[in-house]
Amino acid sequence: MIQKKICLLGASGVGKTSLIKQYVEGIFSEKYLTSIGVKIDKKLVVCEDDSVQLMLWDIEGIDRYCGFQPKYIRGASALIIVVDHTRSQSLVEGIEIFRLARDVSDIPAILVINKSDLNTAWHWSDEELLDLSRPFSHTFRTSAKTGENVEQLFSVLAQHLLSEAGR
Amino acid sequence: MNISLFKTLGIVNCCIFKRVSIGSYEIVYAENEWIDILLPHARDENKFIAPCGSPFLDDFIAQAEEFWELAHNGRIESGIWSETIDEQELKLNAYATSDDNDFYLIIDNIMEQYDRRQKTLQSARELLLSNDKIVAQQEYIHQRLDELLSQSSTLKDMQQPITEVIEKTEVGVAILSPNLKPVSQNPALYSIFDTHLASVKTEPYELILELFEKQYPEFERVISTGSRWSGELFWLQPPNSEKWLKLAVYPVKTDFQKITHWVFIISDISQVKHLLQNNEKLTHYDALTAIPNRQYFWMQLEQSVNNAVPFYLLYLDIKNFKRINEVHGHSRGDKIIKELVERIAPHVSNGDMFARIGGGEFAIIRQKTVTQQQCIDLGNILIDVATQPFYLPNGAHCEVGLNIGAASFPRDADDAETLMKFADLAVFNAKKLEKSSVQFYSQKLKDASQRIIELESALQTAIANHEFELFLQPMLDLTSGTILKAEALLRWNRFDSERIGPDEFIPIAEQTGLIIPIGKWVISKACEMISTLNHRGHSCKLSVNLSPRQVGDRNLLTFIQTEIRNHHIQPNQLELELTEGVLVDNYDRVQFLLTEVRKLGVSVSIDDFGTGYSSLSYLKKLPIDHIKIDRSFVQDLVDDENDRAIIMAIIAMAHSLKLNVIAEGVETELQRDFLQLNHCNLAQGYLFSRPLPFMEFCEYLSNLTNQTLIDQSGHDLK
Repeated sequence: MIQKKICLLGASGVGKTSLIKQYVEGIFSEKYLTSIGVKIDKKLVVCEDDSVQLMLWDIEGIDRYCGFQPKYIRGASALIIVVDHTRSQSLVEGIEIFRLARDVSDIPAILVINKSDLNTAWHWSDEELLDLSRPFSHTFRTSAKTGENVEQLFSVLAQHLLSEAGR
Repeated sequence: MNISLFKTLGIVNCCIFKRVSIGSYEIVYAENEWIDILLPHARDENKFIAPCGSPFLDDFIAQAEEFWELAHNGRIESGIWSETIDEQELKLNAYATSDDNDFYLIIDNIMEQYDRRQKTLQSARELLLSNDKIVAQQEYIHQRLDELLSQSSTLKDMQQPITEVIEKTEVGVAILSPNLKPVSQNPALYSIFDTHLASVKTEPYELILELFEKQYPEFERVISTGSRWSGELFWLQPPNSEKWLKLAVYPVKTDFQKITHWVFIISDISQVKHLLQNNEKLTHYDALTAIPNRQYFWMQLEQSVNNAVPFYLLYLDIKNFKRINEVHGHSRGDKIIKELVERIAPHVSNGDMFARIGGGEFAIIRQKTVTQQQCIDLGNILIDVATQPFYLPNGAHCEVGLNIGAASFPRDADDAETLMKFADLAVFNAKKLEKSSVQFYSQKLKDASQRIIELESALQTAIANHEFELFLQPMLDLTSGTILKAEALLRWNRFDSERIGPDEFIPIAEQTGLIIPIGKWVISKACEMISTLNHRGHSCKLSVNLSPRQVGDRNLLTFIQTEIRNHHIQPNQLELELTEGVLVDNYDRVQFLLTEVRKLGVSVSIDDFGTGYSSLSYLKKLPIDHIKIDRSFVQDLVDDENDRAIIMAIIAMAHSLKLNVIAEGVETELQRDFLQLNHCNLAQGYLFSRPLPFMEFCEYLSNLTNQTLIDQSGHDLK
């Protein structure tokens, strides 16, 4: 079994903690509780006859109160950039965070557009989104609330990591 | 290490380890039981070995080892992390210290600080998210409605899609006609004002207009100039209803800048205000910059008026702040605002008030009796500090400008509201200028702005009313004496027979965006004229001027292609003229556009050369055919040795870059002779002809052709 560090990054309030909670514990809370610092959760993903232990680094939302900390992505195998499709600004910030992360590491990154259970309320067109998501290895529309695409996100990631490790 | 000192100082909720070798750490101080959760055997063995099982701590220890290897005195910090082990939760922060080859790892339990920090950040982020969400919802609704309302279909056709957009949103929406009569109001708007569709005495849109007009002196200017606006309204409905509302006002305009609708978008922000009011400081101070906010500013402004001591009110507006937010994101926009405040604050005198009164708007009340000149001096200092570059975290930088409007109490107005209205009008005028400036309110300025509003309105219908005309000014080949091309110059004859100079109406057209349809009319008309000239047997190229805004128009290239095709003319009969400023400000866009038009076969010339700030490298890199020496150099060349030297240098440089040179403003034979002697290629000016209406230009060409024929036959006879 291999072990891989995955960092979840994004603006505050986009649902990084909720995504991990849904994936690891299968639960969701409507109440917003801001994260501080880092919390690491583990999850073993079994893919056919192999498995990978994901170390999921839930990193405090990046905003005016907390800047981007390159040290946290040291040794990571992949990044998950989470944005919220009810807030245009979270995509601008997510892309900026991705750019900052790219300055220090070229590991694969996945764009996650979260809160798909809520109505879209941003002005990005599908073409613009396609353009913005080009540098990402995958893009998922997820809902931490309903669980939509959450399992699939981590499963695709795990398969990608296993194939990268030549297994 | 003095453990008793730690205890005395109360620094006891930490554990300290000394690094004995790589990956091995001996306990120095570990009195707290919580360390057993994180490092279960450490206290029994008096040490622990990395990796210890905590992924975060192991990661930090790896960083710490690198730090210790360097053996620099100092410390590094891990940052806060949470550990949940066997359902027990720890909030920790670790440090690695190095002191003269003594290396320590300190793990701090910060549970108490964590709770405090989380409480503060929780409300701060809730506020941030609420604000963000409101802005996003309003922008989204605006964008959807703008798309729908800009379509030229009838209101009846649009009713269904508009209803779909606004019916279900929780944001209040009122769509009004240009004269502010209701077209559509959504259910959320009625519910914000606690009114019911069936039984309303005052319609919600009327309430909004009433509140906006009463609470903001800007109302009149926003409506009369068709401007965008956003701000907060307070609605009090005794005995028990009061609400804070965020209002965004957007005009929907046609390409000709004619208002077709007003969209008013309103959100209830009472909850956000309530959160703010929990913190007394935040009710009077801006959360981002910590300087007084709009409410506090108004209190102070009214107080200053009551004191009846003369003062100046300065209204500061960051140039194109919306664009900065769009390009760099709101978080960087926030950083720029904070830094700008830090730059401005030291220049504000004690006793004066400096407040943030809007997103990118600030005000200063200069309490002490000062002269207008002192206000100008202050304004210029503020512009100077604001226009210094702002460095962004990614190493890039951006520059902002500052528009400043000023009004004087009691000279201009003796009440707070009118004073604010006049300062707003002054800043609105400053916005119209390309460069940052300080503008003072005056009757003249008020009249001028009324004139601008009137011209703006008249420009919207000028094309439809056939009020524009293209005059042509010939350019003479100084070697052959023939007319090879002419510059197309726009003239505006208003229906009341007033002739408006291009210096007056072009900046208005540029500012309002009307330059796009007007510029297209010019290109189309020039192509039509070329076609007519071809039919009359004259081969003459026409050059048209491109403004900065046209260069940014993504449809321009296709439009030029279509016009050339539709008029069956050769692309090399058309030339585009750009000023140096356009090159510098939009380099990437200009490079793309010029490369593409050159591929078509259209030639390019640089107008007013020598007056801007062209870098020679632009001339080398960009696909350019001609440069036009500015008339100011030609004007004095007979008397001014420097101008002669400059002209000679420009000609030499242009020729070495294989560019042709055109001299503008040639009025005397002496000027022509000098230019001819120095191998200037073409000349344009009153010596040869003033700009002519098209028919006169055709006659001019015919006469010139006849004259040439007569000269040639005369010569032959000789």
